[in-house]
Amino acid sequence: MGKKTLEIYSVELSGTKDVEQTDKEDGKERYRGLKNCFHSKKDHHTEKLKKELDLDDHKLSIKELEKKYGTNIITGLSSTQAAELLAQNGPNALTPPKETPEIIKFLKQMVGGFSILLWIGAILCWIAYGIQYSMNKSSSLDDVYLGCVLALVVILTGIFAYYQEAKSTNIMSTFNKMIPQQAFVIRDSEKKTIPAEQLVVGDIVEIKGGDRVPADIRLLSAQGCKVDNSSLTGESEPQARSSEFTHDSLLETKNIAFYSTTCLEGTATGMVINTGDRTIIGQIASLASGVGNEKTPIAIEIEHFVHIVAGVAVSIGILFFIIAVSLKYQVLDAIIFLIGIIVANVPEGLLATVTVTLSLTAKRMAKKNCLVKNLEAVETLGSTSIICSDKTGTLTQNRMTVAHLWFDNQIFIADTSEDHSNQVFDQSSGTWASLSKIITLCNRAEFKPGQESVPIMKRIVVGDASETALLKFSEVILGDVMEIRKRNHKVAEIPFNSTNKFQLSIHKTDDPNDKRFLMVMKGAPERILEKCSTIMVNGQEQPLDKSTAEAFHTAYMELGGLGERVLGFCHLYLPADEFPETYTFDVDAINFPTSNLCFVGLLSMIDPPRSTVPDAVTKCRSAGIKVIMVTGDHPITAKAIAKSVGIISANSETVEDIAKRLHIAVEQVNKRDAKAAVVTGAELKDMSPEQLDELLTNYSEIVFARTSPQQKLIIVEGCQRQNAVVAVTGDGVNDSPALKKADIGIAMGIAGSDAAKNAADMVLLDDNFASIVTGVEEGRLIFDNLKKTIAYTLTKNIAELCPFLIYIIVGLPLPIGTITILFIDLGTDIIPSIALAYEKAESDIMNRKPRHKKKDRLVNEQLAIYSYLHIGLIQAVGGFVVYFTVYAQEGFKPNILINLRVEWEDSNVNDLEDSYGQQWTWYQRKYLEWTGYTAFFVGIMVQQIADLIIRKTRRNSIFQQGLFRNKVIWVGIASQIIIALILSYGLGSITALNFTMLRPQYWFVAVPYAILIWVYDEVRKLFIRLYPGSWWEKNMYY
Amino acid sequence: MRRQLRSRRAPASPYGYRYRLDDQDEVNQNYLADEEEEAEEEARVMVVPDLEEEEEEEEEEEEEEEEEIEEEEKEEEKGQGRPTGNAWWQKWQIVNEYLWDPEKRMSLARTGLILVIYFFFYASLAAVITLCMYTLFLTISPYMPPFTERVKPPGVMIRPFAHSLNFNFNVSEPDTWQHYVISLNGFLQGYNDSLQEEMNVDCPPGQYFIQDGDEDEDKKACQFKRSFLKNCSGLEDPTFGYSTGQPCILLKMNRIVGFRPELGDPVKVSCKVQRGDENDIRSINYYPESASFDLRYYPYYGKLTHVNYTSPLVAMHFTDVVKNQAVPVQCQLKGKGIINDVINDRFVGRVIFTLNIET
Repeated sequence: MGKKTLEIYSVELSGTKDVEQTDKEDGKERYRGLKNCFHSKKDHHTEKLKKELDLDDHKLSIKELEKKYGTNIITGLSSTQAAELLAQNGPNALTPPKETPEIIKFLKQMVGGFSILLWIGAILCWIAYGIQYSMNKSSSLDDVYLGCVLALVVILTGIFAYYQEAKSTNIMSTFNKMIPQQAFVIRDSEKKTIPAEQLVVGDIVEIKGGDRVPADIRLLSAQGCKVDNSSLTGESEPQARSSEFTHDSLLETKNIAFYSTTCLEGTATGMVINTGDRTIIGQIASLASGVGNEKTPIAIEIEHFVHIVAGVAVSIGILFFIIAVSLKYQVLDAIIFLIGIIVANVPEGLLATVTVTLSLTAKRMAKKNCLVKNLEAVETLGSTSIICSDKTGTLTQNRMTVAHLWFDNQIFIADTSEDHSNQVFDQSSGTWASLSKIITLCNRAEFKPGQESVPIMKRIVVGDASETALLKFSEVILGDVMEIRKRNHKVAEIPFNSTNKFQLSIHKTDDPNDKRFLMVMKGAPERILEKCSTIMVNGQEQPLDKSTAEAFHTAYMELGGLGERVLGFCHLYLPADEFPETYTFDVDAINFPTSNLCFVGLLSMIDPPRSTVPDAVTKCRSAGIKVIMVTGDHPITAKAIAKSVGIISANSETVEDIAKRLHIAVEQVNKRDAKAAVVTGAELKDMSPEQLDELLTNYSEIVFARTSPQQKLIIVEGCQRQNAVVAVTGDGVNDSPALKKADIGIAMGIAGSDAAKNAADMVLLDDNFASIVTGVEEGRLIFDNLKKTIAYTLTKNIAELCPFLIYIIVGLPLPIGTITILFIDLGTDIIPSIALAYEKAESDIMNRKPRHKKKDRLVNEQLAIYSYLHIGLIQAVGGFVVYFTVYAQEGFKPNILINLRVEWEDSNVNDLEDSYGQQWTWYQRKYLEWTGYTAFFVGIMVQQIADLIIRKTRRNSIFQQGLFRNKVIWVGIASQIIIALILSYGLGSITALNFTMLRPQYWFVAVPYAILIWVYDEVRKLFIRLYPGSWWEKNMYY
Repeated sequence: MRRQLRSRRAPASPYGYRYRLDDQDEVNQNYLADEEEEAEEEARVMVVPDLEEEEEEEEEEEEEEEEEIEEEEKEEEKGQGRPTGNAWWQKWQIVNEYLWDPEKRMSLARTGLILVIYFFFYASLAAVITLCMYTLFLTISPYMPPFTERVKPPGVMIRPFAHSLNFNFNVSEPDTWQHYVISLNGFLQGYNDSLQEEMNVDCPPGQYFIQDGDEDEDKKACQFKRSFLKNCSGLEDPTFGYSTGQPCILLKMNRIVGFRPELGDPVKVSCKVQRGDENDIRSINYYPESASFDLRYYPYYGKLTHVNYTSPLVAMHFTDVVKNQAVPVQCQLKGKGIINDVINDRFVGRVIFTLNIET
């Protein structure tokens, strides 16, 4: 194992070997991943892939290529050829994912949820009018109006939902705006700049550092070309590109550069072999759009809830239709009853409220750097039970930072926090002086000019990650590095390359008395050590003996074991006699010694975890969320980071750790003893789905290392088989299938590719894992609050429904009209139910398990029963008391009302007697009926205030929660009262609305019932708190 | 996992087990429950055993059983509490299982408990509403309604009335008007002179018949004799003029407790053609001739104490109306405090009907 580490960690700077190794290991897996995806897709995808796999352009010689594509590498295509090909193959651009036409989206809103029920209601209204009209030409248009109002309600809520959706989609469209890309192409023997879209197969293009590769390109020649394939593979290590054919696989060979990857440095010329959707990335993108979007948990919950309510509405409606018919009511009347029952049962405003609530939360989350693309994803994050997180950039700071130093036989710890400010290691030693000089001088990285005011750690650097780390490290400690370099003029330099594995430069010293040249060198530690014969200890050169070599190895192993990238540093003062000031160094001939140098020290670097991450991981753990790290990095690095952020907790061990501790073979370890597991992509590749399932269930702390982004999809599917709600972070294009497959895909806002952002449900603006955790918190809160909102809204449905039932069975004059019901559902109740979204959590929501997808429903039996049969009934009773009071005080006592319906509604009866013998005309009765509507409405409104207050909590007493903490609730209550006052006193004279001016005293009749509701609920909560787990809690806690 | 647990329990009650397994599986399907979910559920129940449940030291099997019972009973509650659940077939199965399973004796008790609790809850709710209504009635006088604004100003109604305000009849065909006559005769039975003289007092005309005294004292009523209606009383002409094409129509004002017309200015009735040629009606005779409601019939003290109150009438005798065409007639009340032009209410202070007399 030690040996292996040595090999791997001898890689530095550009780490070519590292990449190669990854490639070799991953080569097949990537294909497997792809194949897996394709398998589940339709056949034509598979076909497509096969075609792609057959592509052998990388194997062909240039001559064959020229022949195949009918081009010439010197003159390029002719303009006419290009135009023809362009017409034939289409522009070189990815087809945007197929968008549902706006009109379909709109219509979907019109028929989704309760809309169907309301449409039925509206149509029934029109049918009822039709029947009336056929019987009596002068029948009133009331039913037509009601039908229109219902239709209007559906259309308005539909438009609202559509608008909300469109708004959240718009946020994303800003991401899609790409700067039009230019390509440098040879056509008609001329070099031209054309929009990349117009590239065709066979074009000869030139790319240079900083460009985005405009198409899939077979390289014909390259000079120091390196590409960043992270958008494709997720690995941000630069990869060298050359014109040589190095691998059978198109994906692995070096002579192909892929569309949308970035050329980091160097230049290359290549031939376009694939354009647009036929590029590798295009195929993956189309693959991602092929992976079906899973329904979000909240969508499932809402559907479930709609089913319950619609089920209740339809069955009560039909039941009472039958009852009405069997009670010898006319069919027309029965239809009107049915409409009333439907309208009373459907919480018309609720879905709009839910949308508003979700978008409020989405806004709140956007402030915390979670940009939610799909509103419903807000809650999904809350029910997440497994987070598969990337390492680089998400858990870590995504920049190499010096973590440890080794000199004078001692390991020093460097500060790796975000601002690097606090370097506490001993800087007095002479060795440090030498080491710092090497670090400063043997470094090609430079700050981009004009950043003097920017904090050092935030300055932009030209150079690779390790050199950047060293530059910043030395700048922080030593001050102006560029100045030091100027003073120590560089006379010669051998840049790093993968065969040497070292970097060397020769400088004049800044000591005017010292005419010697200083040669500084850094590189793979064991290579550097090989070149050394002495070692510096406490500023003195000592011969390198066995014990010091041993010490070096121990330190090297230790640092390597921490998952850090280790560099060795050495120097040599060239003797002035041999190398006079005028000596010309020839870096090709190497006319200077490169052995018997003096070893100075080791320095190790790591991409350190973000400082907020360990906390966030702890939070996740207490919240019952399993955090799985999925990374392309080496297992040791991955494990080290996992340990430092707490994904693998301090006291848990992997099977390998136990084996090491007990000095036994890995096979002998009881697998149950290990809590943590580090699984490499190679191991994963050989696992059957069952084994993966076992792995996922048996280990609580899992790190997947050396995985290809395609394997992410396999991991996600594995987690989903455990019934988990899986959140996945990703940035590469290759991640997009996994992002889509996941219950919630989280793309990185900074590092993420557009494809990933497109596939994701959520974008992390700061790429920080901790933001996910805040998102989880918000998501859980919104679930709780939605429960409260729904409970609040459902309650009054019974109070609205009972009048109809009583009206049908007992024959009272109608206590509340359909229009009035709509005014409650869409008027007084809207703002209060939104206000519940602002409610604070009752207890620490991050201390409980994520909700079980199938057990912890948004609307469960307890909620429905408690809302409908407890509070709802109290409300109905309260409403009836107000109603009876109004009627009795006007002359109609309850006993006379029974079975009065037919006469009451007969417009020909204009001398109906009340309890006092007074005689009423039809219109006088009608007016009284509307007064009854208003009274019942006010009764419900007053009790809904109490309902709103009790819904603030589900377990705690209102007084524990604080009556005034949520100010919005009081805004809601005020709005309720004001709307009711306006309806009664402002619009009371408009007869069409069926409101009348209510005597002031009737506003208070329902107050005792409001108090009763409050007291009853407090008692319920008290018993829940007193007897947790009891029968009471099981039945009364929703 | 579930199956394992079950099979461990199976020997204990193989019979019940068999049935349960079948049913439960179906239920599972219905609820889309998966094994894991149930396992978790079991785990939960094991962790938090029911408080009022039997001895805790009983075996795991027992606990599982309990849990099932609980599930059962939740459903039961749903089934009973919400009479029309969303899925009838689900309920049917549960009820079915409930009836079938001999082991479910326990759940009977549980269901019983829930029923008792709901019974008490609803009983107390009923008690509260009864109490409220009772106090409400305590505050409302049985003699005088607290508010009478809604029923004022008085409405007007005519007799005969048979669900229509269109009087279509053919003089020569008694069948077409006979029902009017019968209706009027019936209506006027209460006004028979003998009855009125026996029951009511003859009070002085032209002034209110005010009866002071306790609210609950029975009040006397003024006579309104059928004979006041002269030609329209049906005494001389038993067909009320219908046989001669000169129909009588009686008009009465709706009773309102405490309503008093302006003193010295009794409410008068006047009829005219509503739309069209005014000459369509050439003459109308009113009985009593004053065409008014005498003040002595007011105020009305309410049904409870003013038992024999007889509503005063004004008879309109349309002696000369254009025949063979529909004549819309509007009869209005006139007097102080009377409103007869409310747009929405065509029966307040006025009544509109059509006469279509064919010969």
